[in-house]
Amino acid sequence: MLKRLWVILITAILSMALVACGSSTDSAQQPSDQTDSDQSDAEGVTITYWYWADNSEYSQVMQDIIKEFNETNDKGITVIGEEYPWNGGGYSETLFTAAIGGGGPDVAAFKLTATPLFTANNLLLSLDEYLENWEDRDEIDENLYDVMRQAGHSDEIYVMPWNTQILYVYYRPSIFEKAGIDVPQTYEEFLEAIEKTTMDTDGDGQIDVYGFGMRGAQGGQEPWGSFIYGRGGSFEQLDSPEAIKGMEDFVNLFKNGYVPPTAPTDGFNEIIANFKSGRTAMTIHHTGSSQGMVEALGDDVSAFPFPPGEGQWTSMGDTNNVIFASTEHPDAAFEWIAYLATGKGQKDWTMATGNVPVSKSVQQLDYFQNDKFMKASIESMSYAGILPILDTTTEWINRVWPNTVASALLGEITPEEAMKILHEELYKD
Amino acid sequence: MSLSSQTMPKQAGRRKRFNIWPYVLVSPALLIVTFVIFIPVIEAFVMSLQRYDLRRPHKIGFIGMENYATIFQDDLFWKALKNTLIWVVAGVGFQFLLGFILALLLNQQFKGRGFVRAVSLIPWATPGVLIGLMWKWIYDGNYGVLNDLLIKLNLIDHSVPFLSQTSTAFPAVIVTIIWQGIPFFAIMILAGLQVIPQELYEAADMDGANSWQKLFWITIPSLKNVILVTLLLRIIWVANSVDIIYSMTGGGPSYSTQTLSVYIFNKAMVLDLGYASGMALILMVLLAFVAIPYLRSSFKEG
Repeated sequence: MLKRLWVILITAILSMALVACGSSTDSAQQPSDQTDSDQSDAEGVTITYWYWADNSEYSQVMQDIIKEFNETNDKGITVIGEEYPWNGGGYSETLFTAAIGGGGPDVAAFKLTATPLFTANNLLLSLDEYLENWEDRDEIDENLYDVMRQAGHSDEIYVMPWNTQILYVYYRPSIFEKAGIDVPQTYEEFLEAIEKTTMDTDGDGQIDVYGFGMRGAQGGQEPWGSFIYGRGGSFEQLDSPEAIKGMEDFVNLFKNGYVPPTAPTDGFNEIIANFKSGRTAMTIHHTGSSQGMVEALGDDVSAFPFPPGEGQWTSMGDTNNVIFASTEHPDAAFEWIAYLATGKGQKDWTMATGNVPVSKSVQQLDYFQNDKFMKASIESMSYAGILPILDTTTEWINRVWPNTVASALLGEITPEEAMKILHEELYKD
Repeated sequence: MSLSSQTMPKQAGRRKRFNIWPYVLVSPALLIVTFVIFIPVIEAFVMSLQRYDLRRPHKIGFIGMENYATIFQDDLFWKALKNTLIWVVAGVGFQFLLGFILALLLNQQFKGRGFVRAVSLIPWATPGVLIGLMWKWIYDGNYGVLNDLLIKLNLIDHSVPFLSQTSTAFPAVIVTIIWQGIPFFAIMILAGLQVIPQELYEAADMDGANSWQKLFWITIPSLKNVILVTLLLRIIWVANSVDIIYSMTGGGPSYSTQTLSVYIFNKAMVLDLGYASGMALILMVLLAFVAIPYLRSSFKEG
């Protein structure tokens, strides 16, 4: 017994020593690369890239893009892609912890909401100088650069656009037909449609199809925002009578049993699974899930933009890339994020994942012009927006919103009380 | 202490030669304890006296006891404290009870005992996050196996969203931690059972004691130390455990499953480190109240 323990111990020590040797040779290479040329430090260097992928297929797509970039770029840059789970936003915190602890990557996929946190701690590299001299600069809408600036609360651009996701409503045409309704044109009609598509299909007295797949867990604030604006409310004043009215609609959907009873804790996986399995007739998500929907449901899935009420809003998601200030190879890093923004990486990634491209020439491809989900995204673009990016936003999204909304759904507090809490927590100093 | 008092009489008079060797020999252990325990605790304490929120780095600064004042006025803190108490008492209590029963069973002679003993260790050997995910699916309100079973047994007529209701979410996570902790008690108590001299039972048999009498007058007293140590360890572990609750509910819905350690974790994850450190120290002090009396009594016996 003791002997075996020794063997295990020695093996462990040896393997650790091996790993240490491996990493020390890596680091030994880097300084010599740097001394090679001060002018273009992009030559023959290795950079690490962190990203998340919504499913294993997309992981493979990213690995393929990386492989192709490594093989085709003429500067000998090697990108090492390391995948981390999105985890309802936990990705940004993992990235932050790693970066501030000195173990972060050179480049990372990034959400705008995290910008103030990272810039306040001087973790990101300003891209202005690179963008000025970049031949593809005009390939991306100037407006997007402005959004990037606003998010960082500064005049400088730290975030490189990559792709966007705009939320719209998925629905099942077959269930609509059974319920005898058309695609809703107004917010009120949308609420009615949810009620009418909640059905007991086999007559056993149990609800088999719920009208709407409500997301009550982290991330649910995005579809929820559309209800608040639907009654004329806004994120600026969450406790306004209009916003409270929107919240009441939201809570009533749960109380009246038009959404699955698991709604308070349903997250991305649950709303998608429930829609695919036919348990819900509608749900709200973006093109990132459209391919999977078509695979599961064939022609029996379509989309419409969140319809207008007193107001109209839908959430614009964004996926971007950042370069960390700590990188030793900023030129190589920029080559890589440029490849993703306007190079072949842009086309490959957005086509595979169904995200809305930022490159104008890619947007014009037939593939994007003829897709019904892409069409719903593009139609929603004019009123799509983002949550106010404040110091409080991360905590509000991760902890305050899910718990407060769950309290309201479960009847522990009134919608009005919930909206007061949500407003105070978002705008506390 | 006892060693020096033994050597003392040998040295005549007040003049003692300073001997550095004992200190040199003890220093590695002391250094480790200093760096691994004392410095982090002191650092946490210092952090708890500051407004230390990485999302607002320009506002980081010393604020005295303000974090503590806010903590004691924080309704969520009191709710989390209450939850922690229920979590520990119910969680550890049932783990102990069921673990004890399992140990008694595993101590019997039966065919395939070795196999059953090994298998019963599985929950303990499974990582907490995995256990959380597994039970999350078991409880799932749409496709979960538990709902399916209960419906097939005609005990309920429609699925219960166990983890989505405040009334059932907390009991559900407590059942999970009980499941995880039973083998620990079972194995420790089983080891204790096996060193109880058989003669005691034989003597009791001769005196005509029944099974209950043997349990309460021989088995339990002989296991006293094992029971105390395992309870103490487990109380501390369960009070500090985050993985299962975090992966099952994240502390929700409506904060109903948020124990103090989960609250600390949630606060630390949104980078409010000053506030989280303050709560962590309070939890540490509370656990010290449990640990110190025990350590005292065990030192006395030693």
